[in-house]
Amino acid sequence: MIEILQWSTLAVCGLVAGARIPSALRGENLTLFWIFALMTLAILLSIEAPYVAIDQALGGFNFANLILRFVIFAAILCVGIRVTRGFGATGGYRLLTGRIGMTVLAVISLSLIALFLMIDSEGSSAGMARVSARGGTDALLVEYYGAAGRAYPAYVSLVLLPAMVRAVRSSLPLPIRTAACLLAVGAVAIAVTLFFPVIPPSWGPAEFIINYTAVLCFIVGLALIWAARVRYGGSASTSRPSTEK
Amino acid sequence: MTLPAKAFQRWLQGIAPNASTADVCRISGIKRTTLAQQLVRGKVAVATVVSISRAYGVNPVSALASFDAYRELAAPVPPTRCELVSQISTPDLLRAVLARSTVDPAGRSSAEPPALSPAPHATSVKNWVEAIDDGELRHRVSAATGVAPQNYSAQLTANRLSPELAVATSLAAGVGAAGGLVATGLITEAEAGWPPDARQAALDSLHDGELTALAGDRLQALGKTLKRQEHDQEQTDKIWENLG
Repeated sequence: MIEILQWSTLAVCGLVAGARIPSALRGENLTLFWIFALMTLAILLSIEAPYVAIDQALGGFNFANLILRFVIFAAILCVGIRVTRGFGATGGYRLLTGRIGMTVLAVISLSLIALFLMIDSEGSSAGMARVSARGGTDALLVEYYGAAGRAYPAYVSLVLLPAMVRAVRSSLPLPIRTAACLLAVGAVAIAVTLFFPVIPPSWGPAEFIINYTAVLCFIVGLALIWAARVRYGGSASTSRPSTEK
Repeated sequence: MTLPAKAFQRWLQGIAPNASTADVCRISGIKRTTLAQQLVRGKVAVATVVSISRAYGVNPVSALASFDAYRELAAPVPPTRCELVSQISTPDLLRAVLARSTVDPAGRSSAEPPALSPAPHATSVKNWVEAIDDGELRHRVSAATGVAPQNYSAQLTANRLSPELAVATSLAAGVGAAGGLVATGLITEAEAGWPPDARQAALDSLHDGELTALAGDRLQALGKTLKRQEHDQEQTDKIWENLG
């Protein structure tokens, strides 16, 4: 079940990234292509088989996991910048790219690297499951390392959330409000990942479902805005919000 | 909101005793699947009754009045002057202002303004409710129907109002029950029993000051709507520029 979810998310994200190649080659909104490409890579690295294959090639000490964390950071930062600028959330944009945002990113990144160096990270497995299975200090450190990895995406989502809620309640065209709603759901899901340490292990698939809900909501939401532009963007003045159902 | 299928069948028997459903659909221009679905669900749309009445030469208002939920329509009440004026479109109202000699002494627009365009117009529902609102109307409608005030306002902004709410609004305001149905475009002025030149007469009876102030209100509302649309358009363009 989880495998199907993972591979189909990978397929969806890969398709969207592929579909952006022509416009990326024309130089239109390159960031958006990179968002989808980075997300595809991130999903690939969170599936066991490809993760192990790549990590083995990199030396087998879970360096791929560290790469995955920074791929996610880059993707979420790009999403944050584009979305706050698009939706006119000036305050949010400053919280991401201003001094506070950069400090948050630097602190989290440095703690992530420091924790990674402290872990005896031998034994490739997605999510460093084998390391935490060994128990002891390493397991605890992996827990902290995971929390640091989730902290930055959660920060960005919380910055995005108010602007998304505002957009949903606005009188903007329906596809954009739907997209904003999906992004808001995704943002909430990412924020919920902060509570993973307190989720009882018996809820096994809950963490997977929350993670993939977030990823799918972001991909579909962003793709929807793009699709709406392709559909209506040609003639800018056609959509009249007051007649939207 | 909708009419019970049983009562509808009984009513249909009355006006077209031997017609099959297929005949009724053909004559009234209603899709057969639409009517079949409404009958199966037991909820016949008010618009269906209106279309069928028109096709069979029956006044839709008296047809609706034969249903329990709309029996208030049976007693025709003449529209108030405010209601009549509210059903004049903003462009017509502005032309009428310019035709007044006090407003435009040079009389450049001396040619008679063209005949009023028929109701409903782009903001007819909202203007109608505003015309009959004593300040507490929305509150009373919401209390009587259980529809939340914000949902009611949303319908008005979209220039829509369900027939049920339109009638409930008339009752709560103490005006003729058919007025709201005219404003929503469900029935015509003539069908509601409004004299053909009633709106023109109401317009002519407005003093220069009243008319100009009213036109000013309408312009202000129009300006607000246009501003909002432009703002939304700007924002949409920005979203597309960044995320499209």
